[in-house]
Amino acid sequence: MAMLEEPVKKVRLVKNFINGEWVESGGKTIDVVNPATGQTIGKVPVSNKEELDAAVEAARAAFPDWRRTTPLARSRLLFRLKELMEENFEEISRIQTQEHGKTIDESRGETRRGIENVEVACGIPTLMQGYYSEDIASGIDEWVIPTPLGVFGIIAPFNFPWMIPLWSVPYAVATGNCVVIKPSSEVPLSQMRLAELVEEAGFPPGVWNVVNGGRTVVDGLLDHPGIVGITFVGSTPTGKNVIYKRCAETGKRVIAQCGAKNFMTIMPDCDVDRTMAAIMTSFFGNAGQRCLAAANAVIVGDDDMFYQNFVDKIVAQASRIKVGYGLDESVQMGPVRDIEKKEKIIRYIETGIKEGAKLRLDGRKVKVAGGYPDTCFLGPTIFENVAPSMRIGSEEIFGPVMCVMRAKDLNEAIEISNASPFGNGHSIFTSDGKNAREFQYNITSGNVGINIGIVAPIAFFPFSGMKDSFFGVLHTQGREAIRFFTESKVVIQRWF
Amino acid sequence: MILHTASEGITLARKLENDSAKFFEDLAQRYVKDAETLLSFARDNKRYITQIERAYYGVITDAIEGGYAFNMDSDDYSLRTTILDNSDRTGLLRQALENEDKVVKFYSDAARQSESLLADVTRAFKMVAERRVARRPKLSALLGEK
Repeated sequence: MAMLEEPVKKVRLVKNFINGEWVESGGKTIDVVNPATGQTIGKVPVSNKEELDAAVEAARAAFPDWRRTTPLARSRLLFRLKELMEENFEEISRIQTQEHGKTIDESRGETRRGIENVEVACGIPTLMQGYYSEDIASGIDEWVIPTPLGVFGIIAPFNFPWMIPLWSVPYAVATGNCVVIKPSSEVPLSQMRLAELVEEAGFPPGVWNVVNGGRTVVDGLLDHPGIVGITFVGSTPTGKNVIYKRCAETGKRVIAQCGAKNFMTIMPDCDVDRTMAAIMTSFFGNAGQRCLAAANAVIVGDDDMFYQNFVDKIVAQASRIKVGYGLDESVQMGPVRDIEKKEKIIRYIETGIKEGAKLRLDGRKVKVAGGYPDTCFLGPTIFENVAPSMRIGSEEIFGPVMCVMRAKDLNEAIEISNASPFGNGHSIFTSDGKNAREFQYNITSGNVGINIGIVAPIAFFPFSGMKDSFFGVLHTQGREAIRFFTESKVVIQRWF
Repeated sequence: MILHTASEGITLARKLENDSAKFFEDLAQRYVKDAETLLSFARDNKRYITQIERAYYGVITDAIEGGYAFNMDSDDYSLRTTILDNSDRTGLLRQALENEDKVVKFYSDAARQSESLLADVTRAFKMVAERRVARRPKLSALLGEK
């Protein structure tokens, strides 16, 4: 089938977007490499503290006027941005595939998920309404006004280069705040293209800023007194020990969405064929590089025949997954983002073998469609006989590795899942409503799936998370994001 | 060629509509008396592409089984669109009817298989299949058939 055209044909020099201007950084640059082809498609700067400070100052300067811009006017700008996103939908999607490696269907899905957040934020004139009580005491009225706070820092990961900043930014600017976004330096091109659309939509200078770089930019955002809050998506060690801690020290509000080890509970009464497609997508989609990817499959019951047939079927289907460059429409799994990540995943596979798990499908031996270098490619890997205490069964691998476990009944499956320090996206596959309710009620997980492989909440629901998967109180997306990006000003009124 | 991904399915739908539209346009040039009907079919085909793409781009998300949406062989739906110099009108219109049947079969199969892609895509496939069935009598009428 068709190989789609690459939108990025020449090496793009990524610039910072500060105060409505494209500014070349003085810092050294890092190559942005297409993980499927090995070609350099961009050069991203490592910006310094002064460049970050300039962006924060521009955002602070823009804040008073932006706050006074009516919610309706802010909403109209977001509508315009949404139109531009739709007009450029295919190009945006292909850029994601080029810089990240995911398949074109996955990229288009990511584009759509991002746009949905803009659509929800377009409702800001009603979403931001306060509430009012007449006569809280005789002749005294009281009401709440949600007010914006100032400038927020948005720190993004590599696995969803387009969508993840959009879990936060549309709500931040819709509520009257300004933002400084730090994209992942591995995948900066999607955010650069987004900022171009923001510019075209006509957002005032300073409302939406992008500063590329690494630790210096992150530290700068965390320490800057002009930043009132941070949203972060990334690993648990960074989220917990750096972002959450430093925000507490500097008095910033924070949303830190972190790592995961998601459990998929398979009941013997599940719809096997439909569950298979969900398993393939959840464990191996995005090459397993998503915080909602299933990692452990817990197959319930003592029916050895069901268990063996089910696992054999998974292995057979996974072994047929077509691995290659995501712009080839027939490819079902792309590469992992870079060779370091591939090597880390391979180390986990080796650990699993040493720990005594049974390797049913070895992704280290991968056939790459189209003859691309196998530098960043891995195939689906499946382990059986995995114990929850094994490293492969308990730590986040962030790659296309499936660990199969058994539980004697649903309660044991829930106990195994709940023993994990993570609580991001656990799911159950069953045709029994009572089992589903028991699972939903007892599982400790921010996002819960019932016959859903990837438990990704749509934009008007919060992207939740529990235990070591989340640090903070409110979440990104929807009404919780509106709440996060506003402060409640309470007015109590009496007239003499 | 076996198709699995949502993107492949949409691309095949687009190709079938475009190939079929081109065939109708070529026929319209050759048989001016039938041109109005044939060109209306070609225009319909282009609208169908828009409807299918709108459904797909509107509901695709990163969380659905887009990589495993179909299991179909594109060869089962290949259209005959060549017009030979010695082809006659009756033969070509019968060829057009056969093509229509193949496209209807594609949409029916695709609708059945695409349930994991959310209902909108399935519904769009079914709708296009039904509209094609509904327009078949017009094409048959050109052959003097009911």
